[in-house]
Amino acid sequence: MKAAVGAASLIPRNALVWIILSQFALLLPHLGRLPVWVVLVYLSTAVWRLLAYQGRVSFPGRWARVGLIGAGFAAIFLSYGNLLGLEPTVALLLTAFALKLLELVKRKDAYVLIFLGYFICVTAFLFTQDILLVLYSLFTLLLVTTALVALHRPGEHRFRVDTLRLPALMLAQAFPLMLVLFFLFPRIGPLWTVPVKSHAARTGVSDFMKPGDISSLSQSDEVAFRAEFEGDIPPRSELYWRGLVFSVLDDGAWRSLRYHELPGAEMRQQATEPAGPELSYSVLMMPTQQNWLYSLRYARARQSGVIPTPDFRLFSPVEIEDQLRYRVSSWPQTPLETELSDWRRSTELVLPATGNPRSRELAAELHAASTSDAAFVDAVLAHFNRENFVYTLQPPLLSGPDPMDQFLFQSRRGFCEHYAYAFTLMMRAAGVPARVVAGYQGGEINPVNGTVIVHQFDAHAWSEVWLEGQGWVRVDPTGAVSPDRIELGLEQALAGEGSFLANSPLSPLRYRSVNWVNMLRLRYDALTYRWQSWVVGFNSEEQYSLLQDLFGSVRAQTFVIIVLASGALVLVPVAWLLLGRHRRRPLDPAQQLYLAFCARLVRRGLARERGEGPRAFCQRVAHADPALGRWARDFTEGFEQLAYTGSAAGGSARQQQLRNLRQQLQRMPGTS
Amino acid sequence: MEIQGAIDGAVAEVGTVLLGKEAQVRLALCCLLSRGHLLIEDLPGMGKTTLSHALAEVLGLSYKRVQFTSDLLPADILGVSVFDRNEASFSFHPGPIFTQVLLADEINRTTPRTQSALLEAMAEGQVTIEGETRPLPEPFFVIATQNPIHQSGTYPLPESQLDRFLMRLQLGYPDPQAERQMFLSKHSGQFSTAPLRRCVTPEQLSEFRAAVVQVHVTDTLLDYLQRLVAFTRQSREFAVGLSPRGALALLDCARTWAFMDGRGHVVPEDLQAVLAAVAGHRLIPSGDYAGDGQALVDLLQRSVDVIGR
Repeated sequence: MKAAVGAASLIPRNALVWIILSQFALLLPHLGRLPVWVVLVYLSTAVWRLLAYQGRVSFPGRWARVGLIGAGFAAIFLSYGNLLGLEPTVALLLTAFALKLLELVKRKDAYVLIFLGYFICVTAFLFTQDILLVLYSLFTLLLVTTALVALHRPGEHRFRVDTLRLPALMLAQAFPLMLVLFFLFPRIGPLWTVPVKSHAARTGVSDFMKPGDISSLSQSDEVAFRAEFEGDIPPRSELYWRGLVFSVLDDGAWRSLRYHELPGAEMRQQATEPAGPELSYSVLMMPTQQNWLYSLRYARARQSGVIPTPDFRLFSPVEIEDQLRYRVSSWPQTPLETELSDWRRSTELVLPATGNPRSRELAAELHAASTSDAAFVDAVLAHFNRENFVYTLQPPLLSGPDPMDQFLFQSRRGFCEHYAYAFTLMMRAAGVPARVVAGYQGGEINPVNGTVIVHQFDAHAWSEVWLEGQGWVRVDPTGAVSPDRIELGLEQALAGEGSFLANSPLSPLRYRSVNWVNMLRLRYDALTYRWQSWVVGFNSEEQYSLLQDLFGSVRAQTFVIIVLASGALVLVPVAWLLLGRHRRRPLDPAQQLYLAFCARLVRRGLARERGEGPRAFCQRVAHADPALGRWARDFTEGFEQLAYTGSAAGGSARQQQLRNLRQQLQRMPGTS
Repeated sequence: MEIQGAIDGAVAEVGTVLLGKEAQVRLALCCLLSRGHLLIEDLPGMGKTTLSHALAEVLGLSYKRVQFTSDLLPADILGVSVFDRNEASFSFHPGPIFTQVLLADEINRTTPRTQSALLEAMAEGQVTIEGETRPLPEPFFVIATQNPIHQSGTYPLPESQLDRFLMRLQLGYPDPQAERQMFLSKHSGQFSTAPLRRCVTPEQLSEFRAAVVQVHVTDTLLDYLQRLVAFTRQSREFAVGLSPRGALALLDCARTWAFMDGRGHVVPEDLQAVLAAVAGHRLIPSGDYAGDGQALVDLLQRSVDVIGR
């Protein structure tokens, strides 16, 4: 289909270059997620298109294009294993975007490509909404808009950088409107959704723990959540962020109780009176695709939509697909569940019928030697401390029916989940109610804005033991083995081993010891925190509360008025500027007075013609109405003096003349 | 003022031979006093020649008349060098152009070549003959007359050459009263027998120039002028708007007009008074406008408000 194309419908070379540039810019944020061949497709289509522009090669024919599209589908299927899901579809879109370049003959095609470019710009936000990406997207937006502008400038045969000027101005003008729309435009939920997240990995602690789970999580330097305390930040050894409680040991793995396993009487949290000082804080959580929230112990949410569970955790009835901010109060010294129900006691004591016989034996031995349950706990911790246990990220693989026997008596190398598992097992074996708690421990305090940053590598597991009179007491067996983990964090605890973030050599967290890198990282994190709380987290509730703060109670009616008024607030000055450019300057006072004079005469039925000069009009007036003639003549003379003789150019004399003229205007004779 | 009295006298004096045309006479004087050349366009026998001759007489200027015909050559106007056998050299015989007032009668009957020779002299104030440049007398006015261009045997002046004339006047038929008076007058058609009184001296003429440039023009008036000019350039009735030279001509004539009226400042009526004569031949209607230049001037004057910015 190589029909002759009119010159007007051809794409200027300048526009072509900008289109190709913006294509590469749009590809860049996706690079990490795409197979390498997509980049090759981009390069080859760009080269092909440029050669075709020079006339050295021809555009692909219809069957070649069909073949290329088929090949693209096949390659994506081979790379991702399917064609559905977020990443394959975005890859498909990007590949099609590159191939469309080979169809770019007429302006119409270029429009399609450019508008597709705007859409692709948005797809990057499906993966992350980082502030850097937003800034970068502003840049790609500028490039795509520049391509659009260049397309409208025919006959530019050379690449011109100054094409950027107009689109930059246009985007700058659009910026205030963007802010208005961002803050005020109603955030309507989607009418339909595609399950885009189904392929996104669930991150963070899972509701299922077997040895090795948390140590693999510790390889990640992603942020799990950030917490901002209203008062002082407690010492990091007190920062046990509870997320999950594992009460069931099943098949060598710990899991939490399912809701349906709870008897009716146990479905509600036991009434608990807070004791001791209160900690108030808010948590900004990254999406986990899970339901549980993290909090310090004895937590009460200070907002709706967060449910307390019987094991004293916080729970969100909807999966956390977007980042979530919630406000919590905690009373760490509150005794939890001092009265233990029979069901709860028996549940927290259940062990599999068989397995780990030596561990059970050891537990029985130590329990027999102890005077109380509390002393027994101390004895077990002392055992861990004494018997040369090693805290490591690289424990040997435990297998077989008795993994804890293997751990306690042979390898003696383990990560927190090993110690929590073994400790809880021994407690239960000796008849002390105990359970594993999973969550995060510690966190990094950002001195820039005073938030606590909790990373995935802060994931931790510990135990809770029920002691008569004290309720559930936290016991962290890891602390007995490696006090550094609790006091200083994972990095210090593993300092000798060198395994901290061993798989991510580029993570800035690895270079914390370099001062300026660390400061830069913390500053950026503070910025991200603000960004996440105020921009990304600005949902319809935040919007509603903002409007309420500003305007009091907000009804639908006022809301519409606010949206329209603020839109007008932005657009009216723009319109005024645009129209003002063609608007005439205001009349000088003398001419204004003359127009007032004419207006008075109109009421007497004497209208001045458009092109009629003051003298001619005055004569006509005198002729038509001699009673007015004298007055009109005097006024016209005064006006001529002011407007045309230039005799009173100076300030005060002119002011005097103007006053006289104004008085003269008032002396108009009445109707006879 | 002395000078104004002289001018009123001159107008009255011309009025004795050209009856009932006081407005045109004033305009013609205004043109000459603004140092511009004048084009008078009308049917034969309307008094074109009478007017031009009378103007030269009342201003006391030397006067020559050339009747333009289709076989007139440039040398017939400019002059020739003739070989003098006694002196054994060429001597220059100046043509009729070496005068203060030249009446170029029926300028559109001669060929473009001769027209060009005259128009060049008008623009330059000098003529170049056989490689030698000779200045023309000071002052130098051309009063050209032409028949309406749709008459047969004419070479219409192109727009670029029309622009060289400061004003174009149309005399029109006299009103019946004046015509009757003309019939009764024994002098009718015989101006040459009774020379007109000279009303303005050469000194007064140059004084006059100096005074005219003192006439004050305010911003308000210049705004009006610029609105007028802008209108001719923007409205779709006009194929060609007023050039900067045209606008300047308008202002010059308005100044002279104001001075002739005895004022030291220009009012909008001055601009309007000279508008038709100065702008009429410079404005060209666009294809979809039915009127001629004169209609355009009316449109212009009606459309642009005197008051405004």
